[in-house]
Amino acid sequence: MSLKFQYFLIFFIFAIFSVYNTVLADSGGVSLTVTVSEAAVCGNSAVETGEQCDGSDLGGATCVSRGYTSGSLSCNSNCTFNVSSCTSAAPSTPSSGGGGGGGGGGGAAIISAPSTAVVFSGRAYPKSTVTLLKDAQIAASTIAGPDSNFQITLSNLSAGNYIFSIYGEDKDGIRSSLFTFSVSVTSGVTTNVGGIFIAPTIAVDKSEVKKGDNVAIFGQAASLADVVISVNSDEEFFGKTVADKNGIYLYNFDTSLVDYGSHTTKSKAAIGNQLISSWSNLINFKVGTKNVLAPKSIKKVLKGDVNNEGRVNLIDFSIVAYWYKRPSPPAKVDLNGDGKVDLIDFSIMAYYWTG
Amino acid sequence: MKRFIFLPFIIYSLLNAVPVLAAKLELVSPVLEIGVGQEFQVDLMLDTEGQDINAVEGKAVFPRNLVELKAIYTGNSIINFWIEQPAQKNSEINFSGVIPGGFSGVLGPYWKGYRPGKIFSLIFAAKKEGSGVIEIRDTKVLLNDGKGTLAEVKISNFAYSAEAPLSGAKAGQFSIKDIDPPELFTPEIARDPNIFDGKWFLVFAAQDKVSGIDHYEALETWGREPDKNKWHVVESPLVLKDQSRASYIFVKATDKAGNKRIVVVMPEFKPWYKKPIVDMIIGLIGLVVLLLVVKWLWKKLKYKWPLI
Repeated sequence: MSLKFQYFLIFFIFAIFSVYNTVLADSGGVSLTVTVSEAAVCGNSAVETGEQCDGSDLGGATCVSRGYTSGSLSCNSNCTFNVSSCTSAAPSTPSSGGGGGGGGGGGAAIISAPSTAVVFSGRAYPKSTVTLLKDAQIAASTIAGPDSNFQITLSNLSAGNYIFSIYGEDKDGIRSSLFTFSVSVTSGVTTNVGGIFIAPTIAVDKSEVKKGDNVAIFGQAASLADVVISVNSDEEFFGKTVADKNGIYLYNFDTSLVDYGSHTTKSKAAIGNQLISSWSNLINFKVGTKNVLAPKSIKKVLKGDVNNEGRVNLIDFSIVAYWYKRPSPPAKVDLNGDGKVDLIDFSIMAYYWTG
Repeated sequence: MKRFIFLPFIIYSLLNAVPVLAAKLELVSPVLEIGVGQEFQVDLMLDTEGQDINAVEGKAVFPRNLVELKAIYTGNSIINFWIEQPAQKNSEINFSGVIPGGFSGVLGPYWKGYRPGKIFSLIFAAKKEGSGVIEIRDTKVLLNDGKGTLAEVKISNFAYSAEAPLSGAKAGQFSIKDIDPPELFTPEIARDPNIFDGKWFLVFAAQDKVSGIDHYEALETWGREPDKNKWHVVESPLVLKDQSRASYIFVKATDKAGNKRIVVVMPEFKPWYKKPIVDMIIGLIGLVVLLLVVKWLWKKLKYKWPLI
């Protein structure tokens, strides 16, 4: 084998390795799309969506086309038509809005100043509540449609970097894992964040399962989504099921496959092998010698929910921050039980955050 | 052929090489030339390198004999809540904060993938000629994994060389253009046996995307308008003076450029039958009735058994 061929072979392997690494970096889960749509700018002498006219640009309109017999049509400073110089009778059917007879012009909705906004869109679960956090505090919520799609618009923002988080709440009030991303928002434009795919919710019917019996793993996902179930033992087992049109999924896992002891399970949803959600929260169950039903209560105690109000938010942060580096903190605020409140406790709290 | 013998080893090592993920804390500055007297900005940036990070702490150390720290800006920071707000202590700036939900990088419409996020900006002025290094030390960067696992961190310090005073525009002083008030925020009232002996307290956190929050002021009043002379500088959490929660609570957030945002927390309006004064009146009436009953019983018993 020639030396040239050896060099080529090494180069080839390097190339493959580089591609392998690139794919790894991009395979982190949900693929978001971030785009902008420019808002109409009144005063740039170009008619844009939401404007009747802009400066000398009348969009081809004349007094005659506005229903007058003659005269000179002009543009107001708020990008509405000025018909004060149009003559003859007022138009019988004004083409837009109310507007009085001779002067003033119509009352169409006009964007006179560029607004800074973000539009979030994606999939949750049919008719589920979707909550949006802005910089870790609840900013808006909406109800997803029967097709699982949702859209939330946040306006009157400043330009800058924001940390947004989204979670869904299923029909039983169980919350999904938090899906968090940081977006740079530009002044005067609408930033569109699309492709959000909220992870399924998950629950089990038994907290302890007799080895050999089935444990039901269920929850809610996007309508008709493929749901992959992972059961983590010494070995990881995968199962697959399909959510119904209401997004409900159920998977019976045969526990004869795993050893006695504690196990965790999680799920993720996919649509058409293209859209894939992130993993759901982890749920524990134990394989033992008897069956114990899981509690029905949806108000699960969250780690970091120091004041037991069912949420992990600024109040809990403030309580834990009070004990930061102070001696003998209460057990409730020492989240990792190491006898002190330090950065690790805050990191645990940040993971379980609900806003 | 002898050379070829190494090839399997090369292939083996390449295929088994696991990419080492390490978050990067980097001090960067847009300024290339620094002259004595000139103010320059140094940003502390977090590049997660594909990891999900939710807590950061450390300290920035600067040579006090060479540079003077003029300002610290936390505007546009990826840190949502500061445990320790960046503040100067001698030649150090300690900081500690969290990003609930985690941070993987900044997405934007004008670039692909993730960009590093800013933690804070430092404004220095060069005091004299010479080379210096602004360093990051004692860092902890934690993964968003629910366990507080330490992430690998690579540090990149900022080395500079200050020369003779620059002329013209280059020698300008740093100024920040911030005309926007802090963003709207919602204070919340709570109480918990773990702090302040179970008293009611107020929590609040505002964001400012340009210069950052400088301080908060608050006042509690029975009136619907804040009295401009009664503001007090406060920090969250704030124990309420009026534990009956009958007062209006005004909170003012001021950014480092002096822009202000005032929000109000409405008093808790109780139904009339739950108000303390009503409770007192009902209690008094009850007491009077009880006394009358006792008196009536006393009289009745006295007639029946005169020997009592």
